[in-house]
Amino acid sequence: MHSRAQFGQWGEETACNYLIKKGYKIVTRNYRSNFGEIDIIAEKKGGIIFVEVKARKTLMFGTPAAAVTKAKQIKIHRTAFQYLQTSTKRYRQFWFDVVEIYVDAGKTTINHIQHCF
Amino acid sequence: MYAKTYGETTCGIDGEEIIVEVDIANGLPGFDIVGLPDTAVKESRERVKAAIKNSGFRFPSVHITVNLAPADLKKDGSGLDLPIAAGILLGTGQVLCSNIEDIIFAGELALDGSIRAIKGILPMIIKAKEVGKKEIFIPQGNTPEGELVDGIIVYTPASLEELAKHLNGQAKLTSLPKHALNLAINYSSQVDFADVQGQLVAKRALEIAAAGGHNVLMVGSPGAGKTMLARRLPTILPPMTEEEALEVTKIYSISGLLSRTRGLVLERPFRSPHHTISHNALIGGGSVPKPGEVTLSHNGVLFLDELPEFSRSALEVLRQPLEDGFVTISRVQASLSFPATFILVSAENPCPCGFYGEDDGVHECTCRPNEIERYQKKISGPLLDRIDIQIQVPRLNYKEIKNTLPVESSATIRTRVKAAREIQLKRLKDTNFHCNADMGHKEIKEYCTLDTQAEVLLEKYFVGLGLSARSHDRIIKVAQTIADLDASSIITGMHISEAVQLRTNNQG
Repeated sequence: MHSRAQFGQWGEETACNYLIKKGYKIVTRNYRSNFGEIDIIAEKKGGIIFVEVKARKTLMFGTPAAAVTKAKQIKIHRTAFQYLQTSTKRYRQFWFDVVEIYVDAGKTTINHIQHCF
Repeated sequence: MYAKTYGETTCGIDGEEIIVEVDIANGLPGFDIVGLPDTAVKESRERVKAAIKNSGFRFPSVHITVNLAPADLKKDGSGLDLPIAAGILLGTGQVLCSNIEDIIFAGELALDGSIRAIKGILPMIIKAKEVGKKEIFIPQGNTPEGELVDGIIVYTPASLEELAKHLNGQAKLTSLPKHALNLAINYSSQVDFADVQGQLVAKRALEIAAAGGHNVLMVGSPGAGKTMLARRLPTILPPMTEEEALEVTKIYSISGLLSRTRGLVLERPFRSPHHTISHNALIGGGSVPKPGEVTLSHNGVLFLDELPEFSRSALEVLRQPLEDGFVTISRVQASLSFPATFILVSAENPCPCGFYGEDDGVHECTCRPNEIERYQKKISGPLLDRIDIQIQVPRLNYKEIKNTLPVESSATIRTRVKAAREIQLKRLKDTNFHCNADMGHKEIKEYCTLDTQAEVLLEKYFVGLGLSARSHDRIIKVAQTIADLDASSIITGMHISEAVQLRTNNQG
């Protein structure tokens, strides 16, 4: 496996552990549709959360969350709706979150931006 | 985190206070501006971002929402860059300021953080003072305008960094000094009435026009000197009062026509648009109305050479501002009033070939009667009715051209004009008018006294020439100016006769 993909994998792994620690229940990972992919789908208090994970090794090119562009958000939206249509379970609410992970001065920071689009 | 700053935009020829609210919230990094911004304001996002970064500050990687209130007013121009940037610096705690309520910011940002000059600073400062602000920050390039208004502290930071240091109290800026307004004009222009030989009637007519602010139409064959005379009119106009000068400067500030080195416009404007001008360019227009030539010649002269060549629609739109002294432009976006008190000076030929009525024995009019009629009909009756002084400018003969007799200079004429204006200002001091031509029916009744002979003459002319009520008023106004030039307190029969002669020369 390429090192870049490995780094992405590591980011998603870290994000999962972080969410579990925060009391989320992981439902699916890497859910794919014709429109795109959702990194993590999790549940909490009867709601469903679609999580996009962004990891970067440096802040030289801006924060990772800045890379979740409008186009990316639309892809995630469409995929999420497909998931909801095919899902047998009914949810009270759904949200879209971004978890950004970056390494700054040798320190790994996890930043969970809730309900952001 | 929330911050509020104050900026200004322009609306018509006045400044308008804008409240800039900045909200900095957690979320995907982004920067939105709401509150009816036009393209230049929307683009300020990129300028503000780069300017903050390049001034050594941190641009927060969070969601920023900027709201421009009042939300129903269309904001235009780049002058809101500075209040937006200041709001972001305040909201992120990089700048601290305790008296932000008393401050107005105005300026465009360059990508390196320096502050660029913008249009319309003078009306903004005046507005800021009106609404009770104590300090205003303007670009260094607008310094000349900043020196004009007393009663408000004006700072001119060169860059965003200087501004931030001042607000933080690290390095204080010095405020602009205030000079007493100097209204003295340097009449060193190239042209002078001393250059014009002969044409005594035309010169007298222009002197009366300058003294009372009356409109003039000059009719004459090509080369008679109509344009030459008109171009010399500004040299005999009296200097503007402080109030007039500030009004003109405001208009020029908004139109971006102010020179960078000098604040106050001292000379009365002289505008001579080409005859291909559209009616919108003449009276003002645009989706958010901008001042046109009539407004740019406010308190000055609008010179229309070759009057019949102007498009019919352009001429007809002049009727309302000529009568009212202001013009109201209504568009979907806004309906605005602009001041337009000007002296209309126009010149035309008597017919298409130019020699109709010439009896020098050489030139003969080659136009057909219907051509002459069509040419003369291009200027409508209602427009002609508004032109107080209509004179013939005949061709000079050889002796007159070669004459070496000393001719009166502009300076001499100007002294008489100035004296006449002072009498008028004194008479009209209880009104907001500046000269005889501005008077309405009510003022004429109140201020103009005719002796019995004048009354009798006026009645005779009124019936004999079939004058309109407006013509009646206008003849009295011109007669009043002639009386003022005479330093006579009442209008006599002589004054009335001269006024009538000046008016009806062309209409026969």
